[in-house]
Amino acid sequence: MRRPHVLSILLALLLAAAPAFAQETTITLGRFFGACDTPGVSIADAVGEPCIIQAIVDAFDAADNGVRVETLPTDWGNYYDQIKASYAAGNAPSVHVMHSSAIPEFASLGALADLSEHLAAAGIDTSDWEATARDAVTYDGRVYGVPMDAHANLWHVNLELMAAAGLVDDDGAPILPSSPEEMLEHAAMVRDATGASYLAADFAEFPIGVRLVMALAWQQGAELFGDGVSNVNSPEAVRAVETIVALFDGGFADPRLNYADSQQAFLDGESAILVNGTWVVDFYGAQAANTNVALTDYYAADFPTLFDTPATWASNHLWAIPVTTQRDPEKFDAALELLAWINDQNLAWSRTGHLSVRTSVLESDAYAALPHRDEYAGTIEIARDVQPVVRYDAVQDVLNRELQAIWLTGKPIAQALADADAQVQDLLD
Amino acid sequence: MATKGRVLTETAAATSRVARRRFPWRDAAAGYLFVGPFLLAYVAFLVTPFVRGIWISLHDWNLLAVSINPDAKRFVGLDNYTRMLWGDGIVWSLDHQLVPRLAGVVIVALLAWWWRSGAINRSTALAGIGATLLLFGLLLGLHPGEEGRWGDRRFWPIVGNTLTFVALTVPSVTLLGLALALGLNRDDRASAALRTAFFLSQVLSVTVVTLIWQLTFSPRQGLIGHAFRTLGLEPVSWVTSIDLAMPAIVIATVWWSLGFAMILFLAGLQEIPAELYEAARLDGAGAWATIRSITLPALSRTMSLVIVLQLILHFQVFGQSHLITRGGPNDATQVLVRYIYQTGFRNSELGYASALAIVLFVFMLVFAMLQIRASREEG
Repeated sequence: MRRPHVLSILLALLLAAAPAFAQETTITLGRFFGACDTPGVSIADAVGEPCIIQAIVDAFDAADNGVRVETLPTDWGNYYDQIKASYAAGNAPSVHVMHSSAIPEFASLGALADLSEHLAAAGIDTSDWEATARDAVTYDGRVYGVPMDAHANLWHVNLELMAAAGLVDDDGAPILPSSPEEMLEHAAMVRDATGASYLAADFAEFPIGVRLVMALAWQQGAELFGDGVSNVNSPEAVRAVETIVALFDGGFADPRLNYADSQQAFLDGESAILVNGTWVVDFYGAQAANTNVALTDYYAADFPTLFDTPATWASNHLWAIPVTTQRDPEKFDAALELLAWINDQNLAWSRTGHLSVRTSVLESDAYAALPHRDEYAGTIEIARDVQPVVRYDAVQDVLNRELQAIWLTGKPIAQALADADAQVQDLLD
Repeated sequence: MATKGRVLTETAAATSRVARRRFPWRDAAAGYLFVGPFLLAYVAFLVTPFVRGIWISLHDWNLLAVSINPDAKRFVGLDNYTRMLWGDGIVWSLDHQLVPRLAGVVIVALLAWWWRSGAINRSTALAGIGATLLLFGLLLGLHPGEEGRWGDRRFWPIVGNTLTFVALTVPSVTLLGLALALGLNRDDRASAALRTAFFLSQVLSVTVVTLIWQLTFSPRQGLIGHAFRTLGLEPVSWVTSIDLAMPAIVIATVWWSLGFAMILFLAGLQEIPAELYEAARLDGAGAWATIRSITLPALSRTMSLVIVLQLILHFQVFGQSHLITRGGPNDATQVLVRYIYQTGFRNSELGYASALAIVLFVFMLVFAMLQIRASREEG
């Protein structure tokens, strides 16, 4: 008698579960930002990029909308390699995050679904997007993504060290340099007063150094590349690199720090400035509040203008739908629904420190009230993306390699930039 | 019973003889049946991808573009290979890389001396001298002239990095593995525990190994950094130093693969009959003489196996370089497989990546053949 009993229970379970299976549409989601260490928190309580995005996606997944979202591994370093491999294998995620700099490559090959005609129906009001964000997701006049933020390089400041060096004004804001020469003076003041380094950044691993050099070239009115022409070996680029190398030569910065070590040096109070993106503002704020962390007085400043024109490196995170998802109308609709939900959560995502891309959010009181937001309010004005290049990843790799050769191996600047110039030109041809 | 059994066996043998005469193909068929499953898998998973790899290497093949539009590839013949191995305005001069090339003269002299003293035979000596002259005399003298440049200026330095990695790792693992095996080839408990301890690192995946060593090398959080600080020294940035990055991944690799070499050597040691050692002891041979005259010659086959396995394994190094140093700083630890991976997946140049893979295969084949040939000669 036992067996039929078990079987009938199984059958009943199956029958009960069947309608649920039948109704749910499962979509897969590809993203970087890393894994959230404390899953299960609400959107309002989440801190840091990984947990805020996970909370946003989880809330959509849990809602009674007939859509289940499966998040794929969230590793940063190999993200684009994995995404490209998944496209090549014919199993691209239903929806995935990417940078605006990657749009030309993916869109020019026809890998992304053209969303131009679908966004309004999904409840996404593109007229609320900032113009720069709309441009960032547009290729050849068609919209290929939903922008989630603008992120830019900031100067993260340890106010305690700056105050000790007399580099804080009456309003409590740090006094930042307005020329390369002044930067070296400030650096010497910080060292004399505190013994700390003036500036730390990841010069040895990820392309933060490349973004620094690009910003300093833009400030002199020069592009490193664009319109099929490499201009890496220009006098402006040389000047930009010299500005940074002077910090190393003076002992005011250490080129051998990678991302984790440069961040640790800043949190340990060993460096007055850290050049890093908007994505860590809430994290550093939380660290400064932690009594076990040496950094106590944290300020997020706009990238200073060392030359003529204000500029800082910036990019956009955006969500795109592979053209393969479009073949399954149910999944395509579910993916669009998810993008609309993410678009609605723009304020929550901005808590990371990123700049909002929606006018309505940018103008809201809640946005202005976010911690440190007023300190780098000018960044949105000076934020600047790289020129659209199909093989941007490879170009950035070349620049990162040759710049590392300069500050880690002592390769002559002229030689390194000439080598980089030839390789970048090859990639643009 | 025994008689009955033999009768049955003989009957069966007779039947099979008859069958063989009548159906001569039956043995062959049985043979093919046995190797069939393996051959199927071998053709499907090794030969086909390999041939396809060669085919792709003859194309300008963008990974993403071809996946969306299969016609987006373009046949370019051997262009990928010329880009890799050649360039514009390449010239040959006698004094290019003079110092390394003088090493070639030394190698030729050594080979000639070994030949004369009978350590190696004529064909090996001539092959060795020929290869050395080709490499050091001809190939190392090639370089881009004025206005000239290599088609792929990163390729040769990356080949150099890979060879450096192999040259540092394989002898270290082999010698240390042998030393450990000699030291721990005992029956006591401590040796058994140590054998397990040394072998444990081997079972870890490359991800775990690199994570452990990333932490160990970190100047701020790492074990080595703390040790330096305790001694009042400035911690060293291993993975971002141009001189220490390669040693760092070699150290991690040696730690990781030592256990396997040790186990192979231990197995080899246990094959050596105890009587030989006893006889040596009676003859009054010391420890060193015993190792040199009995242990090492008896282990020559194991040694050869360890070296060939290590060569094949370490030419394909990827994880350590990818995860610990990201190929940096400035390509100092960029190795061939990581370059292939980045070319194919990050830059989408599948055609060029396949050409690189074929060349890596040729390198590995040459080195494995050289080693096998050398060990045959000794045996």
